[in-house]
Amino acid sequence: MSGTREPCEPRGAIDFCLSCVLTSALLVAAVVASFAYLDIDFPALFSHEAATSIGRFAASFFPPDLAPGFLRKTAWGALQTFAVAVVGTLLAGVAGLLCALPASGRHGAGAARLARFVLNLLRSVPELVWATLMVLAAGLGPFAGVLALALHTTGVLGRLFAEAIENAPPQPEQSLVDAGCGAVVAFVYGTLPSVWPQSVAYGLYRLEMNIRMAAVLGFVGAGGLGQMLYYHLSIFQQAQAATVLIAMFVLVLVVDALSDRLRAWMER
Amino acid sequence: MGFELEGVGLIHDNGFRALGRISLRADRGERVAVIGPSGAGKTSLIRLLGTALRPSEGRLEILDANPWRLSAGALRRLRTRVGTIHQSPPIPPRQRVVTAIHAGRLGRWPAWKGLLSLLYPVDIAGAQATLARFDLADRLFERCDRLSGGQLQRVGIARVLYQQPDLILADEPVSALDPALADAALGELVEESVRRGASLFASLHAVDLALKWFPRIVGLRDGEVAFDLPADRVTEAMLHELYAAEGDTLPVQARDAATCAARARSSCN
Repeated sequence: MSGTREPCEPRGAIDFCLSCVLTSALLVAAVVASFAYLDIDFPALFSHEAATSIGRFAASFFPPDLAPGFLRKTAWGALQTFAVAVVGTLLAGVAGLLCALPASGRHGAGAARLARFVLNLLRSVPELVWATLMVLAAGLGPFAGVLALALHTTGVLGRLFAEAIENAPPQPEQSLVDAGCGAVVAFVYGTLPSVWPQSVAYGLYRLEMNIRMAAVLGFVGAGGLGQMLYYHLSIFQQAQAATVLIAMFVLVLVVDALSDRLRAWMER
Repeated sequence: MGFELEGVGLIHDNGFRALGRISLRADRGERVAVIGPSGAGKTSLIRLLGTALRPSEGRLEILDANPWRLSAGALRRLRTRVGTIHQSPPIPPRQRVVTAIHAGRLGRWPAWKGLLSLLYPVDIAGAQATLARFDLADRLFERCDRLSGGQLQRVGIARVLYQQPDLILADEPVSALDPALADAALGELVEESVRRGASLFASLHAVDLALKWFPRIVGLRDGEVAFDLPADRVTEAMLHELYAAEGDTLPVQARDAATCAARARSSCN
């Protein structure tokens, strides 16, 4: 009896969870090594003069520049950022759907592999890198921002759409094909209704992210609020920069609220 | 001719033989019911006739054409003349009833008309008239996932009637309906077939409904035709033999109705 019980005797950490202990030890070692390597001077961050200079820097942003002329300019920039995000996301939605059809495997394994490769390529390059490339290719301005957002978002939405199409029940479309429908109409009547709400929700979610991204893209010359922010910060006009930051904040809040509403309405 | 099968067999990809070598023929305008225990191959037979499945062997002709020898365009035109009513209607849940009905005629409409109809339904009156035959005219703009199972099944039937096919195939078309509605829905199907001279081939679970509405009955068991007779020559003994594997009682609508009524009474007390 005692012989059969022996393997169950606890042997400390090894029985408890060897990999947990090893992982924790490795994590701690990595964190310690990172701090040592980066040589961060934490005491200086919390010193008195650091606190006063941080305070002075923060105070220099106030009050924000609320002159009517500058407000108009900021509103114009916000509109441009909004437009860049909307057009970029819309283009990506259309292109993503077109890529998702072959990527979902409806047109054979070869087409699926090729489409997936293209989508992965588009997705794996970040928006900022696309924006830098597009500024070189298409010149400074919002057009480069639109292209950059559209390229990256096509990769993201295309993959999500492809999964939604794959998971949609095949019977509705098949029954229409069996009744003599053309391929496009059969897809639109049979599969699209099952895919549509989810796809629009994905699109709105990406729009929210692209609003924030469009604001950043201005830093590499792609127009809108980001370009204003970069300009005023680089010539130390903190009051103007503060106005732009507030505009970004308001824009993000408004778009988030709108897309929340729209998604809730679609869920009904 | 409605359809003609000669030695048609069907073997699924996994090697399972769903249908033996079946020979069966129906004239234009003929009404045939196929009955048999579950797993007998009724659905496979209907899918073969609807050109959704390709036979593994034998010769098959639908509306005077061999569908699998036709060009893609000609096959499409043939398919617009064949309407299949599925047991669970293949309708996307979020689609509106009017759109689901219009989908029946998409094969005949040019693509632009079908797409335009998504923006604004092009034939509201036609869809409403078809729905009215099933007491559903007031559901025209309802979303299909808001309908009950029985209502959805009737929308599925209405959609195929709206298609106006020359060959109507029906796979247990009234399985989700209560006896009175099932009877009325089958009556509409038969009426359509008589009025337009369309062939009607339906698999039915309830033997008494088959005997009531169809002049010709095909008994199917284990993928083979057990009998193929005018309804008045089908005997009780034949039916019992057909359903031997499912016990002593025959599946009929009326008894279901009686037990349902009994159950309803007892729950009231």
